[in-house]
Amino acid sequence: MSEASHRAQPPRRDFFEKVTGSAEFISDVVVPGMLQGRILRSTIPHGRIRNVDVSAALALPGVEAVLTGEDIAGLNNHWGLFLNDRPVIAIDRVRYVGEPVAVVVAVDERTAEDALDLIDVDYETLPFVTDAVEAMAEDAPVLHEKSETLKDFYFKGEAKPVPGTNIFQKYEYAHGDVERAFADAGRVFEDTFSFPMIFHYAMEPHCVVASFADGGLTLWSCGQAPTAIQKVLSRVFDLPLAKIRIITPYVGGGFGGKASVKIDPLVAAAAWKVGRPVRICLSISESMLTCRRLSASITVRTGVRADGTILGKAVRVVMNGGAYADTGPAVAIKAANRAIGPYHVPNLKLEAYAVYTNTVPGAAFRSIGGPQAVWASESQMDIIAGALGIDPVELRYRNMLKPGETVRPDLRPIDVDMAEALGQASQAMSRLDAAGPDAGLMKGVAVGASDPGIMAVAAVLVRLKIDGSVLVISNSVEIGQGIREVLRTFAAELLNQPAEAVYVMTPDTALAPFDWGTGASRSSVMMGMAIEDAAIDIRRQLADMAAAAFGVAAETVSLCPGGIVAGDRQWPFAELLHAHYGIDSGEVIGIGRISPHSRDGRLMQAPLFWETAAGMCGVELDEETGEVRVRRYVSVADVGRVLNRASAEGQDEGAAIQGLGHALSEELVYEDGQPVNASMIDYHVPTIDEVPEDFLTVLIESGTGPGPGGARGMGEGAILPVAPAIANALASRHGIRIRDLPLTPERVWRALQEKKAKP
Amino acid sequence: MDATERMMLSFTLNGRPVEVDVEPSDLLLDVLRNRLGLKGTKRSCDVEVCGACTVLMNGLPVSSCTTLAADADGQTVLTIEGVAQGGELDRVQRAFVEHAGMQCGFCTPGMVLATTALLNVNPKPDNAEIRHFLRGNICRCTGYIKILEAVKSLV
Repeated sequence: MSEASHRAQPPRRDFFEKVTGSAEFISDVVVPGMLQGRILRSTIPHGRIRNVDVSAALALPGVEAVLTGEDIAGLNNHWGLFLNDRPVIAIDRVRYVGEPVAVVVAVDERTAEDALDLIDVDYETLPFVTDAVEAMAEDAPVLHEKSETLKDFYFKGEAKPVPGTNIFQKYEYAHGDVERAFADAGRVFEDTFSFPMIFHYAMEPHCVVASFADGGLTLWSCGQAPTAIQKVLSRVFDLPLAKIRIITPYVGGGFGGKASVKIDPLVAAAAWKVGRPVRICLSISESMLTCRRLSASITVRTGVRADGTILGKAVRVVMNGGAYADTGPAVAIKAANRAIGPYHVPNLKLEAYAVYTNTVPGAAFRSIGGPQAVWASESQMDIIAGALGIDPVELRYRNMLKPGETVRPDLRPIDVDMAEALGQASQAMSRLDAAGPDAGLMKGVAVGASDPGIMAVAAVLVRLKIDGSVLVISNSVEIGQGIREVLRTFAAELLNQPAEAVYVMTPDTALAPFDWGTGASRSSVMMGMAIEDAAIDIRRQLADMAAAAFGVAAETVSLCPGGIVAGDRQWPFAELLHAHYGIDSGEVIGIGRISPHSRDGRLMQAPLFWETAAGMCGVELDEETGEVRVRRYVSVADVGRVLNRASAEGQDEGAAIQGLGHALSEELVYEDGQPVNASMIDYHVPTIDEVPEDFLTVLIESGTGPGPGGARGMGEGAILPVAPAIANALASRHGIRIRDLPLTPERVWRALQEKKAKP
Repeated sequence: MDATERMMLSFTLNGRPVEVDVEPSDLLLDVLRNRLGLKGTKRSCDVEVCGACTVLMNGLPVSSCTTLAADADGQTVLTIEGVAQGGELDRVQRAFVEHAGMQCGFCTPGMVLATTALLNVNPKPDNAEIRHFLRGNICRCTGYIKILEAVKSLV
């Protein structure tokens, strides 16, 4: 627990720009000479494209070009992160409603939009499948006849598709002997749960501006992983990485929906075709047709002794990955891992599939696979508790891992005290109950443990200027989480300079070193460690300069605000750099590089840290309507170290309320191959009046994370327990066990009626 | 488009008179952002659900994504750019900054203006009134807890 974290902190610097409307977001970017693109999308779930007639669109005044699949024959026209399965634009086939078929580039958005109506697409429809379990059936239409895996392309390892089927990822893991454990167990519980497709709804839709010039390509992108975009574009357009530049201004939310690569190749292809800069800013309805959380069907079999001790657990996950794999192979693995829970499971079997269907491509979403998995496993914990007559909290304590024990022997031992987190949740709920007694509330609990998939590859440049100002240059994307302020805090702390002197640059791959990307709760920790190394680099250079210029022993030199100190002597940076360079100008550049070999190889074992949460809710149910209201909620997470209290709490609160949406209302619905609620009129996310009146965030600062001062990643854990905690609350009072999300009034009401019919 | 179809609007924008010629079908959001260069007003849902494009017309919140620019003729419009005076944040902005009532910041201009309107019509709203008034402004990042704290601090 660091003292610095308890000092009153000045507000984040980006807040001043954001609150005045002066912050430039990606959708605000204007590039001189840029044209606007609009996308014609497939209206059918699966079919061959016989012909695309763009002549009438091209004849419309103001239309400069129309890009179709024919145009990209000369490019490396498929891309992907795990599987090279996705065309830059539909070539001769469409695989989901919403797939881009043509891009109109025009002088303005309205002209481009008008021209879309003038394009005539002739389709030959093919049989389609939108359900993952159906897509695994032998007679299901196959979406991709061949699969080309990309090993270690951006993620470590490779997907394991099953040739000739829609399965693009099959993952298996086992330790112990689960069947024998089930034979030994007094009881074996088997339950299947479903989790729907969920839209990210980052409030700023996907937006990219692309410009080819000087033999290279510059993109202003909303992407969370600029270097992944750079790599994919390099392949598609056969350009050297050094000639591809990705600039990432403020991004209006992502939650994974802008992770890896999304519309960047398409926008770049439009700019390539027309030979001028092109901007494409989707509508939110189009973003809904761009990516979504993978829906899942999860079967959990758990064998327990009569006292509730878990002897074995078998998890089977089937995930609906949509028309293209994207990062689905990683999501499936994580869903399997995250279904284990922070429990001692001596015999374990995991099996996970991700499956192609004729739906919007699945993608990363805050704690990939986590909410799906925890919905299943934590709902089942309460089923077990109920059947054995054990208090649900007590059942969790009985099986809880202690710090240092392993979830899986091949993974890093759990590095948080989950029992403490659960205890703190109970205490916090007691405090809320004491402050406002309400006997009518049903209580529910759940915990989650996730293994962030962090690649230990990051680097930063820290430039200390002669006037003492500091510029931090990295590819960490500011997407709302406050990474720029975190980097500023770290640089100030590690260089012993005032925070006011530190500035953090907009990510630009032409200037910032390679970083794996912003996601998986990694940036504070990874870039924090890189800044640690950059600060050491800067101190060493300054010390060498001081030794030469002032004759002091290099090892006695340290930094002080505005300069250096050695023994009882002190020099401003200006005096030192002036003496070194001979002119009153210059800077010192520190480089921090993190790789799996850094920190004596300690970063090599996965996960880099565990991200966990405990949640407890107080719920009210209107039995007449089935409407569920969460009145009280307690969210507890061990974050290692709080870097910025308001922002850290805000990350946790935001995750929990997203979890509330997952629990109560959010679901992208398909009927007859069509997404029927892909607009914000029909898709409901939580509004301010749905927030629990009493909400407590408890952040545990164990100081056990790998980042500076014991920091660990955060912001993804709190989404995990919400849905099962609410369902568990409903079960505890009304005996209804709902296994499908969301817990809509209709679904809850029907469950109540069924219960009344056959109690 | 036929030049005769264009129309000239005069209205008060952030305390100053403006004149702009528009097409009758132009949306206020597009005119503010693309013609008048005021990009603080954000486009998100397009369907008057999320509140990111909120501006105040005669002191009351409207969704500029579904308001015709023509309807601003002769009216008084306040966008986020007109809230801070002389480089000084106003009290609503200060509250959002001090309470960390934002993360990505995309909903923030609309949220600040909706709060401003709330306090104009009801200087002392209770919790239920705050939650009711602001339900037309979606924030996907914060979970609203810090936004509620910011607004309550102004009451």
